[in-house]
Amino acid sequence: MKHTGKKREVRSPKKKKTGMLERIRQNKLAYCLIAPAIIAMIVIHFIPIVSGIIMSFLKLNQFTLKKFLKAPFIGLDNYEAVLFDANSTIRSGFFDALRNTAIFGLICSILVISIAMLLAVLLNRKFRFRGIARTLLMTPWVVPSFVVGMLWGFMWQQDGIINRILVDILHLFPNKPFWLTGPAVMVAIIIPTIWRQVPFVMLMLLAGLQQIPEEYYEAAKIDGANAWRSFCNVTLPLLRSVLSIQILNGIISYVYSFNIVSMMFGHGAGFPGKYGDLLMTNINRNSFQIWQFGTGAAATVVVMVCVMGLVAIWYRIFQNDLVVDE
Amino acid sequence: MRVQTLTNYNRRKKRLNFLANFILGIFVIFAVAPIIWMIATSLMTQGQIATGKIGAPNHFENYLEMWKNVNFFQYFKNSIIVCGSTTIVALTIATLAGYAVSRFNFPGAGIFGATVLATQMVPGIMFLLPLYLMFIRIQETLGIRLINTYPGIVIVYSAFFIPFSIWILRGFFASIPIELEEAAIIDGCSKFGAFIKVILPVAKVGLIATGIYIFLMAWDELLFAWVLTTSSEVATIPVGIRLYVGNYQNRYDLLMAAGCVTTLPVLLIFFGLQKQFITGMTAGAVKG
Repeated sequence: MKHTGKKREVRSPKKKKTGMLERIRQNKLAYCLIAPAIIAMIVIHFIPIVSGIIMSFLKLNQFTLKKFLKAPFIGLDNYEAVLFDANSTIRSGFFDALRNTAIFGLICSILVISIAMLLAVLLNRKFRFRGIARTLLMTPWVVPSFVVGMLWGFMWQQDGIINRILVDILHLFPNKPFWLTGPAVMVAIIIPTIWRQVPFVMLMLLAGLQQIPEEYYEAAKIDGANAWRSFCNVTLPLLRSVLSIQILNGIISYVYSFNIVSMMFGHGAGFPGKYGDLLMTNINRNSFQIWQFGTGAAATVVVMVCVMGLVAIWYRIFQNDLVVDE
Repeated sequence: MRVQTLTNYNRRKKRLNFLANFILGIFVIFAVAPIIWMIATSLMTQGQIATGKIGAPNHFENYLEMWKNVNFFQYFKNSIIVCGSTTIVALTIATLAGYAVSRFNFPGAGIFGATVLATQMVPGIMFLLPLYLMFIRIQETLGIRLINTYPGIVIVYSAFFIPFSIWILRGFFASIPIELEEAAIIDGCSKFGAFIKVILPVAKVGLIATGIYIFLMAWDELLFAWVLTTSSEVATIPVGIRLYVGNYQNRYDLLMAAGCVTTLPVLLIFFGLQKQFITGMTAGAVKG
């Protein structure tokens, strides 16, 4: 940006002269502007996170919850129950959920990004029904995710519309398969998630594509690049910053995915079974159905640490793409 | 020879275009078909759904019944009030903060930005019990009721959607040339006056986009609604829909009707303001 350079020239000598206090005084307005946001984040984010971490060290269940301030401190026992106690059901449930979430997150990330990329490239041409196509492709994103879970839970029923199409019309299977029990559950939760996630990612990638100047492609063409080569050498590198944000967004939203799965199985009442239980549904059930709040909190902390690890890896890969215009 | 290759090229291009449109068409069908099926089943009788003999979907009684059986209107009203207030509160606070982060080079700006992002890495479920207990404590010690009240859920939702909104708006404000404010200040505006009078009108599109985003997220929220709004006077739609399921096992006709009614307002808002949403979101979010 043009003005950035100018700003730096003016500001940097000033910075050396003025001390920290002076700069704080100069930016009084800025602090006033962020004050409400800071208060909101301290009260609703910071305090609960700290108390959540503290809770993971307490023996907190339906009996001690009433006087939670006096709940007994049990050190790392909750973590042991979640991670190491080979006999506890909490551990086996947690590891099932961990495995499922890993598979779910990986497949969803790959498929969502690639389908969204394909659609964005296809939509980035000039054709007659482009506006209509984009609008229709966007629609699934507007359907609330708990409705998505409800709707697909209905469609995946054994005599539901999907089996009717697959078996009665296309004759792909000899018998109507069960989608909502057994290992097939993974398919049943991945497809609706993709269905709802692709539109938004597609929109962002499309916006990124439209910012790439046409000349780059012309230059690539003159150099003799075919469509695939110019995609790999022009489009992908220039989309890296958009892609990186969408990948981060994906990591967080798939690991913390809850709504679709929890509504799909008995519409919020059911248990997706050990093949479809995700980390968030598992923790939610542990905490609010069998009242093991302490282990629930410990499991949450473990998941959070895993996500931070993933984000750290993400940051190492994409850190160079994040410097935009500052 | 040349003419030959040109027609070959054109033919290939045509074929590729056809293929591209064909693939797009399949994805459009995949995107829209479930929604059409939801609308269709919401207009069928239970018998039609169970037997699979799809007649003309013209059973509008489902829509009457669903409002009558469970007091859906109340949930609908609650959702509108909660999401509307959340949008206003969160958008106001996030606009101020987003503007500050994009325009002022104040000590702590980096830490603030990083904190805003870091909040997104904490799962919602982490907050659930602590917030619930905190609200109970507040009620016991200060006598302010926050569970099962509009203010309680609006406070929680607003705070949740503020960080991401700051992030989008920051990018959006950064894309507005700084010269605009400089001109206003030369004309005699204060810094804050320039922000209100000059920048806000220019940023309208970004504000609308962020507002829609907040509204959609709040409309979609399930976990906290289940815990913080249990009484039907303030409970939002997801809580109401859950009641249906409890009371009317497998009444898919009613469930799908409820699904349609739930989707309709967000669909209308979104498509009514689609253009602003797309321009605003992309200006803010593409920048990263």
